[in-house]
Amino acid sequence: MIDLVWLIPVFPVIGFLINGLIGRGFPERVIGWIGSLSVGTSFVLAILIFSELLGMDAGSRSREVVVYTWMLSGKLNVPIGFLVDPLSMVMMLVVSGVGFIIHVYSIGYMHGELGFRRFFAYLNLFVFSMLMLVAANNFLLMFVGWEGVGLCSYLLIGYYYEKKSASDAGKKAFVVNRIGDFGFLLGMFLIFTTFGTFSFTEVFAAAPGKLPAGGLLITGITLLLFVGATGKSAQLPLYTWLPDAMEGPTPVSALIHAATMVTAGVYMVSRCSVLYAMAPVSMTVVAVIGGATAFYAATIGITQFDIKRVLAYSTISQLGYMFMACGVGAFASGIFHLMTHAFFKALLFLAAGSVMHALSGELDMRNMGALRKKVPYTHMTYLFGTLAIAGIIPFAGFFSKDEILFYSFERHVGFWILGAVAALMTSFYMFRSVFLTFYGESRVTPEAARHLHESPPIMTVPLMILAFLSLVGGLVGIPIFEGLNRIGDFLKPVFAPAQAIINGAAQQAHAAVSHGAEAHHNVGLELLLMGVSLAVAIAGLLLARRMYITEPSRPDKIIEEWKGVHTLVYNKYWVDELYDFLFVNSIVNFSRFLWKRFDDLVIDGIVNGVAEVTRWFGAGLRRVQSGLVKDYALSILFGVLLVVAYLVLR
Amino acid sequence: MIPIPAINLGSILPALILCAAGLVVLAVGLFVRRGAVTVAALISLVGIVLAFMTNSPLRALNAEAFSGLVAADSFCWFLNILILIAVGLTVLISAKYLADEGMALPEYFVLLLFCAAGMMFMVSGNHILVIFIGLETLSISVYVLAGIHPAIPRSQESALKYLLLGAFSSGLFLYGAALLYGSAGSLALPALAKYFQAGSTSLMAKAGMGLLLIGFGFKVAAVPFHMWTPDVYEGAPTPITAFMSVGVKAAAFAAFVRVFFDSLAALQVNWSQILWVLALVTMILGNLAALVQDNIKRMLAYSSIAHAGYILVGMVAGHTEGTSALLYYLLAYTFTNMGAFGVVALVGRKGEANNMIDDYRGLAKLHPLLAVTMAIFLFSLAGVPPTAGFVGKFTIFSAAVKEGYVGLVIVGVLTSAISVYYYFRVVMKMYMEAPATEPQALHFGPAVVVGLLIAAVGVLYIGIFPITYLDLAAKSVMPLF
Amino acid sequence: METLMFYILSVVTVGSAVFVVLLRRPVYNVLFMILTMIGLAGFFILLRAEFVAMVQLIVYAGAIMVLFLFVIMLLNIDQIRPPVQARDIRWWAGALIAFALFGLILVVIKGIVLPAMETAVVAGQSNTELVAKELFTTYLLPFEIASVLLLAAIIGTVVLIRKQS
Repeated sequence: MIDLVWLIPVFPVIGFLINGLIGRGFPERVIGWIGSLSVGTSFVLAILIFSELLGMDAGSRSREVVVYTWMLSGKLNVPIGFLVDPLSMVMMLVVSGVGFIIHVYSIGYMHGELGFRRFFAYLNLFVFSMLMLVAANNFLLMFVGWEGVGLCSYLLIGYYYEKKSASDAGKKAFVVNRIGDFGFLLGMFLIFTTFGTFSFTEVFAAAPGKLPAGGLLITGITLLLFVGATGKSAQLPLYTWLPDAMEGPTPVSALIHAATMVTAGVYMVSRCSVLYAMAPVSMTVVAVIGGATAFYAATIGITQFDIKRVLAYSTISQLGYMFMACGVGAFASGIFHLMTHAFFKALLFLAAGSVMHALSGELDMRNMGALRKKVPYTHMTYLFGTLAIAGIIPFAGFFSKDEILFYSFERHVGFWILGAVAALMTSFYMFRSVFLTFYGESRVTPEAARHLHESPPIMTVPLMILAFLSLVGGLVGIPIFEGLNRIGDFLKPVFAPAQAIINGAAQQAHAAVSHGAEAHHNVGLELLLMGVSLAVAIAGLLLARRMYITEPSRPDKIIEEWKGVHTLVYNKYWVDELYDFLFVNSIVNFSRFLWKRFDDLVIDGIVNGVAEVTRWFGAGLRRVQSGLVKDYALSILFGVLLVVAYLVLR
Repeated sequence: MIPIPAINLGSILPALILCAAGLVVLAVGLFVRRGAVTVAALISLVGIVLAFMTNSPLRALNAEAFSGLVAADSFCWFLNILILIAVGLTVLISAKYLADEGMALPEYFVLLLFCAAGMMFMVSGNHILVIFIGLETLSISVYVLAGIHPAIPRSQESALKYLLLGAFSSGLFLYGAALLYGSAGSLALPALAKYFQAGSTSLMAKAGMGLLLIGFGFKVAAVPFHMWTPDVYEGAPTPITAFMSVGVKAAAFAAFVRVFFDSLAALQVNWSQILWVLALVTMILGNLAALVQDNIKRMLAYSSIAHAGYILVGMVAGHTEGTSALLYYLLAYTFTNMGAFGVVALVGRKGEANNMIDDYRGLAKLHPLLAVTMAIFLFSLAGVPPTAGFVGKFTIFSAAVKEGYVGLVIVGVLTSAISVYYYFRVVMKMYMEAPATEPQALHFGPAVVVGLLIAAVGVLYIGIFPITYLDLAAKSVMPLF
Repeated sequence: METLMFYILSVVTVGSAVFVVLLRRPVYNVLFMILTMIGLAGFFILLRAEFVAMVQLIVYAGAIMVLFLFVIMLLNIDQIRPPVQARDIRWWAGALIAFALFGLILVVIKGIVLPAMETAVVAGQSNTELVAKELFTTYLLPFEIASVLLLAAIIGTVVLIRKQS
């Protein structure tokens, strides 16, 4: 069965071809189900292969399936091959599974849209490219997938091309990703010139013997690859394209810009865990960038009123967690969080899409409120997603986030503080979005209120499935109890070589200061940290509740019922003010500053600067390229002068 | 009695057949009035196929002929194939174009065939005189072809510009040849090689070499000798632009390589540094300028300048790896650019009224298959696997890395990353946007369909199975080393 | 004697070439160009290359320049004055490059060591005979390719003229 792994990406291609070439004139339902079932078939196949993999001995769960060998020259051949191991298996399951659910949802969401067929064709093409990316057994094939998902992403961001903001956003994503891809390409080229092969297994097997750990070359390679990852996975400083990418249709945001494509960077770093383990500097860079992004994006999330932008910033922030996990050496935790994040973030986006659907496209949370009764299923599922991302036990996010925080603490307490504060803010702004959208008083415009309706089952059923997964998805990775962290054990063989290198380095360091004893899982510490992070999540919830539910009616109530103790009330009010001033306001202001100044000036400045330079260059070019023969002749003579002078005078 | 040297017609048979086919077209053109273009195209194709068949013995021949003026070897065999592919595809694309534009000119094909014959003489020349006359034959034909469109004034303007600047560069080339002759006492490539190997490097010889380099640099459109390219490529009839961008470039590069690796190898230290600079500025300027173009022909013109830069990297790298990568790149580029310009010729419609990049909006909806083929060509130009363009770039860059030109390769990768932007822009227009006005469906002729199909299959085939062709290229450069 | 002739011819050739560029009336330009060509033919005679000298006279000074004169007179180009070139940055750049190139040529000439070459003069054979022999034996192929070149040029001219009518 494993030998059939190449069929997994083939099915979406078949769907793409059917819809793309002969789908003209098919009714919407048929197109939608062709697209969905092609991905669904891949999912079923992935499950079959998964079960076969589970049946194998844990140490031998890694198989390369070479379909065809692409001979580039006598010395270089690139296999078109797939690597089936626990890591790629998890990714394939997530991509095809979540992809299938989102495809089904799209049938309802995109109903009646212009270009329905085009949408499904591109979506299938995307799933194909993504599956190639995660299943490839060498860097070059991975790069093909990498570029493929990028192309689909730009195409789908600019889906509503008649909107200028949409086509601009596509352009921005393209430009920013070029920078990242440049790093990735150079890293790949360095790998090839160093090892003479693109194959994962060969490179990783050869690396420890061929290069000195911590050397310049390995650090360079890993940092260049990481530049690629920051572009694709929207990390500092290349993240700005992602919030703008929300211009695309919501299922696209869910599938590409939340659940799958943007996690490609995390996958790539984990795939190269051996290389990173050999380069401690790069590991630190990855961890710092990841932690900083997690914190930074969360602060911005607090200030946003556009529901999709809140989710976009929270995606960036969560991706930061995953990189932080990789950076501290907890690759398996990063992948675990990647998986649970795929569930709850896809859910949140799709639920947000359902809200938009109900409100005729409204995105601003200030024009929502009190939708709880109107769209009950959407409300419930969105709430599940929020509980999961906030990390409330026993939802999925609790386990995965907790694991990352634990390993961060072990590495350096600074990472843990960053992560914990980001978790507090995450919980706060996610519940804020819940309260603003579904609770409080209705601020829905009368126009939208008239059409207010719950979405059809074709949309709500996928939501419920994802909500279920967000609830139980974390149970595959229960910590502390031996044997219950199934996903960790499953992934362990993949990361064992990297772990060995890290441990080896750590032991050397320990030996130097004669510590000797290896750090064991400190159960007490882990429980304590767990408690703290749960408390943090609940604190965020309560804070949001205070500010968005209780507060509006609070002053009146106080005056009526608590007349006698108004000093206390006063005091409390004053504390609140101080609290607001010291904590909330300053963070809000700071993050607004970051968002407005840094974002607009620095990052957008770079993107706009590129445009400005090209414009300037174009104007200069027009002057030089005057169309006059004598100018052209002058240019030739100038060349003659330089060439002859060089040859004669040297 | 004067002894007549051996005449080995077999060594130049493909070129002779093309000339003969040209004469037949000329003669038939006198008698046939209706459908003259179709008949001329058919005769041309027959001639091209015959030339193709008579070309194969050259591969194993590896001999000098005509008192050593001509080298009939595997290098010229490979380039002849390339030229025949280019001219064949041009004929296929042109028939429809000429009919659309109302140009009943059988002479068009005569000039095309003479031009190709000139190229063949140029690539087989073992003597600078033969190379120069071949160069002039192809140039004169191309000047006229560029200005052959009666209704587009830009066409005539471009022809005149090309003629003036071409004459200028030919003058420089000749001056260089004269200086070399003055130093070495001969213009035969083996004699030059002997002269330079003996260690004599007079200033005059060096200056002569520099001027030859500039003459070739002009033809391959290397910066700063490139300024004519955008104007001429834009003004010339699109099929001719296609032919110029691949045929002239390939022939010029071939002669460039032969002269510099065969006879000037002893001075490689000197000229490869110049080429290093030329490659660098050509890649940078070509790609940046292409970024700001709105007209697709100008965009492709600058892109062809950029590609000249990549090919120059192959020359800088040198040795068997660099030059064979260069030959493969030329082959890949021939299929790719012929195809891309073929689509441009089709989409341009009558009077080349639709040559802006915006005119490609919504092409995918109107003609899905045409859009797919165009996308294949653009991907290949951008160097996306598994197209031929990727393999070409990859082999050239890895040859350069092997020789230690890492800086050049970094610039190459960076600029090709930039180039993806303007190639993908066309893809985006085709797939994502709707046309401003209701477009009229295009009419295809069978010839164009065959031409584009050959080009697209070629791009994919030699991209997916490159090893055969890389081996062929490697064997073809053997006579040079 | 030869040296004296060389300098006289040099003055005539270079001087008339300068006038070709400087004078504004096209007829004068052409006339001085004819003088330049004649001067060049003189150099070839000094070099004992009679055949080339003859070709220079017949083809350039004779046919081509007369054609130029015909065109100028038929079109009455005398009335048309070329626009005065403004001395903008391009003018200065051009002048600078020209002077620099001139300097380079001087440097090159200074270092010239001419190799011993087999002389074109063989006892008992005229230069013309030798050239003819070479042209039809060793250089037969370029000679024949030139015919293709000329044919292409003729066809091109006809095509370009015919389409205008």
